[in-house]
Amino acid sequence: MNALATDMATEPDAAAETASREELLRVDNVSLSFGGVKAITDISFDILKGEIRAIIGPNGAGKTSMLNVINGFYHPQQGTITWQGKERRKIKPHEAVSQGIARTFQNVALFKGMSTLDNIMAGRATAMKANIFFQMFWYGPAMREEIEHRKKVEDIIDFLEIQAIRRTPVGKLPYGLQKRVELARALAMEPDLLLLDEPMAGMNLEEKEDMSRFILDVNQEFGTTIALIEHDMGVVMDLSDRVVVLDYGKKIADGTPEEVQGNQDVIDAYLGVAH
Amino acid sequence: MLYDVLIDPFVQMVAVPDFFLQVIWEGFVSGVLYALIALGFVLIYKSSRIFNFAQGIMVVFSALTLVGLHSMGIPAIAAVPLTLLVMYLLAMSVERVVLRPLVNQPDIILFMATIGITLFLIGFGELVFGGENKVMITEQLGIPTGAFELEPFGGFVLIEQKDVTAVTMAILLVVGLLLFLDRTKMGRAIRALGDDHQAALSVGISLSTIWVLVWFIAGVIALVTGIVWGARAGVSFALEVIAYKALPVLMLGGLESVSGAIVGGIAIGILEKIFEIYWGQPFLGGNTETWFPFIFALLVLLFRPQGLFGERIIERI
Amino acid sequence: MIFRTAGQYKTSYEADQALFPVKQDFYLVLGILLLGYVVFPLTASEFTFKALLVPVLIYALAALGLNILTGYCGQLSLGTGAFMGVGAYATYKLMTIVPEMNIFAAIFLSGFFSAAVGVAFGLPSLRIKGFYLAIATLAAQFFLVWLFEKWAWLYNYNASGAIEVATSSVFGITVTGPTALPIVQYYCVLIVVTLVTWVAINLTRGRYGRMWKATRDMDIAAELVGIKLMTAKLTAFAVSSYIVGVAGGLLVFFWKGAAEPNLFDIPLSFQILFIAIIGGLGSILGNFLGAILIVALPVILNLIPSTLGIPVDSATLEHLNVMIVGALIIAFLILEPHGLARFYAIIREKFILWPFPY
Repeated sequence: MNALATDMATEPDAAAETASREELLRVDNVSLSFGGVKAITDISFDILKGEIRAIIGPNGAGKTSMLNVINGFYHPQQGTITWQGKERRKIKPHEAVSQGIARTFQNVALFKGMSTLDNIMAGRATAMKANIFFQMFWYGPAMREEIEHRKKVEDIIDFLEIQAIRRTPVGKLPYGLQKRVELARALAMEPDLLLLDEPMAGMNLEEKEDMSRFILDVNQEFGTTIALIEHDMGVVMDLSDRVVVLDYGKKIADGTPEEVQGNQDVIDAYLGVAH
Repeated sequence: MLYDVLIDPFVQMVAVPDFFLQVIWEGFVSGVLYALIALGFVLIYKSSRIFNFAQGIMVVFSALTLVGLHSMGIPAIAAVPLTLLVMYLLAMSVERVVLRPLVNQPDIILFMATIGITLFLIGFGELVFGGENKVMITEQLGIPTGAFELEPFGGFVLIEQKDVTAVTMAILLVVGLLLFLDRTKMGRAIRALGDDHQAALSVGISLSTIWVLVWFIAGVIALVTGIVWGARAGVSFALEVIAYKALPVLMLGGLESVSGAIVGGIAIGILEKIFEIYWGQPFLGGNTETWFPFIFALLVLLFRPQGLFGERIIERI
Repeated sequence: MIFRTAGQYKTSYEADQALFPVKQDFYLVLGILLLGYVVFPLTASEFTFKALLVPVLIYALAALGLNILTGYCGQLSLGTGAFMGVGAYATYKLMTIVPEMNIFAAIFLSGFFSAAVGVAFGLPSLRIKGFYLAIATLAAQFFLVWLFEKWAWLYNYNASGAIEVATSSVFGITVTGPTALPIVQYYCVLIVVTLVTWVAINLTRGRYGRMWKATRDMDIAAELVGIKLMTAKLTAFAVSSYIVGVAGGLLVFFWKGAAEPNLFDIPLSFQILFIAIIGGLGSILGNFLGAILIVALPVILNLIPSTLGIPVDSATLEHLNVMIVGALIIAFLILEPHGLARFYAIIREKFILWPFPY
């Protein structure tokens, strides 16, 4: 974690740099409610290409609902979402994947009966096209496609250092590894925007350090834009370029980690109470 | 042709209202019985998350036991409590032999186990009491067999007294059950189990006691259903087809809703009868009652996936 | 020491994704095929063909079809019997309309009819789930059997209301009808079953298999990783019903020889479901193990009293049979809820590690 802190320290002009970057996604005045319960009220923010954007806030602030809106699982009653410069119509989650939005989940949502390898291969579902008749006979295009995607998946397995559990059913893996497999599955979708919902929840310090390293590597090596929800403030402040703070479904602050840390609303709503 | 199918049946309903009333009454009576069987399902599902396929066969089994005991020379007054005792023993052995070892298994495994119970009961019942059709001991139980004749609209409607008895018994049973669930400690425990197993266990509710109790109540419901249905149609394992009728009722009313089971049961009973009389027999060669409830429930569910009484489902991740 | 996986290194993804990456598995399957294609035909009696071998193969195939839907894709179906009926009636009508048609062509074509019907009744699965869907599949069960009874065109307006298989031959050998030899019919069934099983293995280990299993394990997550639930569920319904339909065609044409609508009623559906569950959901091998058990059990139970010399009349025996099957199902579920296939997996594991316990 120290290494990360120095990383950040050597980039004093991070804010200036992000300002010049291109906008990847923008949410404008989005509101979402279930029956009478308002989950999100009139939230607007943007995510720039190549940055790590953190979404924080106390429990029930609407963070996960926000991610669900971004990847098309929930449809907001009001507001617009602009993806890569174009206003997005109402889409289904699998369409979000083919547009380049992948995510992981707060409670691990892996396919428990399948092996690690199959789970990650499932992440390539939208990329695989072979006809069912070739599949039936394991022949020609089907076989070539299977091998081609297997190579990509093996690269991800190497990258995340999970070679040893390739054949293990994920239901049998410890929690920390399951989180890592989930990240691998999201990476297999080759996303432009990666949504991480509490990637470090329930981890010990060592696992958190590993996970932080992977997130930074993904961001820097693949240039993937990352939006993450996290409760560990140390991690958030170290990893993220900019932070948006939600409370009771409303946005109360937005800015660099330093700005947010100093914001009185945030301290009142969240940090001040928590510490 | 279109007129015959789309309009003429309704014209007939209005033109011969007394016959239409008769049809509705008949449908209502069988609907009440479907509702009773569905109620047995709902109780067991609520308290243990088990989709009890054996509920229908318990109806037949209890009726068969009652008739069988009577034919062995035991008077009706004694045969009823004895049958209840058999149902209690059944509930106990189901809990001990099947449910307890299978606790925490996936739903489908428990469902299969209840099909196993179904087969076992069929084989056992036929082995002990024989497989041939029997007559329910209606008179010995003091169920009146005459009929009322009403004369509305200048026609006449025939209402059999045993059907009236059936409906009355069903209403009493349902009211008693609702009071039991609502007012007693045991009833509250059953509802608590239905909401959350582990939470209920952690406040000291005994799983096995409740399960035996619930299966016994389901057995009592089965016996009542068996008596009144047996009085109408005789007692044999052919009765199990009525058990399947309870399934679309559950689809319509929801697996966990007592009121859903009652309303759904009556609705299905009446609608299937009307469809059979006005459309099934004239146009489709009859016997549509086997599938109509299922297709009907399916269509309703397509437009309301949560069923008639369910709350809107919000999916979470 | 025989079953060692150590030392078999893969140098390419092709080799790693081969049908049998471990060579002992390959020899095992070779042995079973040898048994099925050479040893049984040489030794089995007519009774064994009719009462054991052919039923085992046909039921196993039907259970395989159901397993793709229920075991792989997680959609519980109680309508298998009716879909077998669709396959059987479609084959029958095809053979009536074009009598000179090759029976295998007819059976494989009729699979498409049951696949289409399966997809139609699978559409509700996009809206409803779990037990509600299971009940919905009963709609197919009851409606289709009713249709088999009432739609006289299906059984060529026979007075009996039943379909009867006419004699037909392939390459000059009589394969269906009363004069066909049991051994010939056995070979016909065996070839079809081998082929379909191989195709099923290919489908379940590839892209479609992963889509199905993902839908089964967690449908919401599957949708969020980009799997179209509609495609996954409907292909599972189609493939499953196709295989089940083929099994139905085989059932009537190579085994029963004639069929009334009630053959396809709910007991058949349950029998197939038992086989799939006792064999093991989500397994190919399990269907065969389950079928062997369910088919052989009544045959063995029937033999016991006569060998022991106890006189039992046939009705009692039948009731006893039903009772024992029910009890055995419960016993099996308690002993190994994941089915016979899991038993095999455990034994295989033990062999690989032998003589060490871990």
